[in-house]
Amino acid sequence: MKVAVVVQRYGTSINGGAELHARYIAERLARHGEVEVLTTCATDYVTWRNELPPGVEQVNGVSVRRFPVKHERDPLVFGRRQERVFAHRHSIGDELDWLDAEGPTTPALVDHIARHAGEYAFCLFFSYRYYHAFYGARAAADRAILVPTAERDATIGLSIFHPLFRNVRAILYNSPEERTMIQAVSGNESVPGVVVGVGSDVPGNPQPARFRQKHNVRGPFAVYVGRIDENKGCKELFDFFDGYLQDPHGKLSLVLIGNSLLPIPQHPRIRHLGFLNDADKFDAMAAADVLFMPSYYESLSMVALEAWALGRPVLANARCDVLKGQCIRSNAGLYYDNAQEFAETLKAIEQNRWLSGTLGRNGRQFFREHYDWPVIERKYLDMFDRIRHAPAAGAIEPLPGWLDRRRQDLPAAEEVLAKLPTGPVTGPRQPDGRRSA
Amino acid sequence: MPEFNVRSDSVNVEHIMEQIRARIREKRGVDYTEQQIRELAAVKLEKFLDPRGVRSDLLDQFRKAMPAYEPPVLPNYSFESDTLFESHRGIIRFFRKLFHPLLKLFLFNPNPLIRALNIQAQLNTMYAEREAQRESSRRAMDQLYYELIHNLVLELTRTGIEVKNLKMRVESLSSRLEFNERRARALESAVVYKPSEEERPARPLPPPAAASPHAAPTTPQPQTPSPQPPHTQGGGPPEGPGQRSRRRRRRRGRRGGGPVAGQFGSPGGSPQPAVNAADGSTEAGAETSAAFAPADPGIASASAAFGTSGPTGASAGQAGTGADDDQEDEGPDDDGAPHTGGGEPHGQ
Repeated sequence: MKVAVVVQRYGTSINGGAELHARYIAERLARHGEVEVLTTCATDYVTWRNELPPGVEQVNGVSVRRFPVKHERDPLVFGRRQERVFAHRHSIGDELDWLDAEGPTTPALVDHIARHAGEYAFCLFFSYRYYHAFYGARAAADRAILVPTAERDATIGLSIFHPLFRNVRAILYNSPEERTMIQAVSGNESVPGVVVGVGSDVPGNPQPARFRQKHNVRGPFAVYVGRIDENKGCKELFDFFDGYLQDPHGKLSLVLIGNSLLPIPQHPRIRHLGFLNDADKFDAMAAADVLFMPSYYESLSMVALEAWALGRPVLANARCDVLKGQCIRSNAGLYYDNAQEFAETLKAIEQNRWLSGTLGRNGRQFFREHYDWPVIERKYLDMFDRIRHAPAAGAIEPLPGWLDRRRQDLPAAEEVLAKLPTGPVTGPRQPDGRRSA
Repeated sequence: MPEFNVRSDSVNVEHIMEQIRARIREKRGVDYTEQQIRELAAVKLEKFLDPRGVRSDLLDQFRKAMPAYEPPVLPNYSFESDTLFESHRGIIRFFRKLFHPLLKLFLFNPNPLIRALNIQAQLNTMYAEREAQRESSRRAMDQLYYELIHNLVLELTRTGIEVKNLKMRVESLSSRLEFNERRARALESAVVYKPSEEERPARPLPPPAAASPHAAPTTPQPQTPSPQPPHTQGGGPPEGPGQRSRRRRRRRGRRGGGPVAGQFGSPGGSPQPAVNAADGSTEAGAETSAAFAPADPGIASASAAFGTSGPTGASAGQAGTGADDDQEDEGPDDDGAPHTGGGEPHGQ
């Protein structure tokens, strides 16, 4: 069985969520069959500049075939087209123009898929919102499996993606919330789908003391891991944590790990350590009392899963349905909606050691049950078996003709998004007290 | 300190969050979200300001509406004696002047016309200048009026805000006053009934030589300047000045309201007036000084050498208080009998 993993960027130095997800899956599936990664020569998701040579190379034992990007992204054009399709009534042509402006425009990759689709048993397309997934899935519709990594943003309201959701062979979701959202917007309940997510290579014996000694961190602390960006909720986190610092009973410091796009508040109890390697990162998470996850939009938080794998509780932003749902389903984290809830939940975790320990234990169990690698691999292989024997659906609905593409009859994507159901997906409570999805 | 109740081994995150939110609601008092609170705050502010229709940019608006005045360029002409015969062609001008006498002779005399038009042109110029001056001064006055109105609006707004603040303060003070009145009534109704002297059963006095540590230096001593019998020192916990002054007032009432300071002498023999009748501590000090004035000149000089007139500090106050307590409990001032013992120790 040969499987193609199609993703916008690929490499050991690429740390984007979907890209890392794709690499982990490719490397894991390579143990069960032949895997070829089809990707671009770009490493920067803003410009899509060709920085790696086209052709075939090996990355961690996986064959990677790169294709050049036809043109870089023009931020002005992209911004203008995005404004058009997100906020105004528009046409399918406008959406296709937006997709072309977003990139990475790689017709060579799509041509390769169209010519060699028969060589692959399945093509796994990561990130529905990019050019490669949209046109690649159309080129290999009878063997396309989509890993949408969809977030709750306006892109999901664009109509060109809805046939994609309805006509691929299967969809591997990251969370029940993502599945609910995609089913609501596209009506693809008949498409085989399963919530899988991704595992992580969490070390079995992290060294918290080593981290404390190496970085001279003393006392209890909360940790944030990831890009320090306003879009990730970090500005709000700083504001809320500043309020927490006013409380004389609070003893926690804040340790920030990751590259910063924001000015870090100057306070003795806020430390920014920059980008750390995986060993240090896991040591830090093991040493921390709690992990902050302030992001508004997540399809799956790998950092939260890693914290749970290390037995640490998570304090998440309740405005992100996925994070809130994960906290509720796992019983391994609390969530906040405003500054007061942030302070109170943080104090609860800080001052109630029993609660903190129990949340951590629940998280570890949740990770083992749902996100350990054998579980993830099994879900992928089961899905392959399931659709291998199922009759293939037809081609994806063709794009409309020249005239219909210019009909300005599509609502703004933000309007579509606003009508979608919100809130975490919480199923009935199980005997052990946890909720099923 | 646990912030909420977690009793079982299985944690229910939703339940914990409910508890946390309930605690936040209790702290905040009202179950509003942050957004609702912001909206409410905004609405209140609008209501507060809108009725006055404050436009702080009134003057700017006026200046925008009325740009700086420039007098218009009105069409005018200057009419002179030869204007009728003007021409840019010299030869025509020459012939017109040449035939001017013929015109006057055979057709009409244009000179009155020329004169009238000349005067009219001068008048036009004069009126235009006058109108420009008038318009300019009118606009200057308008600007002044607008500035005046603007300042009035500002002052009115400020006054309105102050009135609002004062109203709120008055409301706050009245509610506080009402609360204090209620509190006072509640306290008055809760006063414990105290039996009068007659109703109280007689208690046996302790033996004179009960000899508590405080009693030894306070044996009855003759007091030269004071007509009152010497007070004795009693043990007991220190009491507040309010308590002392209450007792003293009651004692004065029984004595007929005579000033206390006048009845006690200072250590030097001269009467020491009370500094402040309302200040219990000062009076108590005066009393104590009188009660412990040493009869022996040697003792007096020793006390003077140390800058004191008797027992100092807390012991002096305590002694005085103890004497008062004895008087309250035993009522010896009424009969004038001297105290002989340390009295009943308090707090035991």
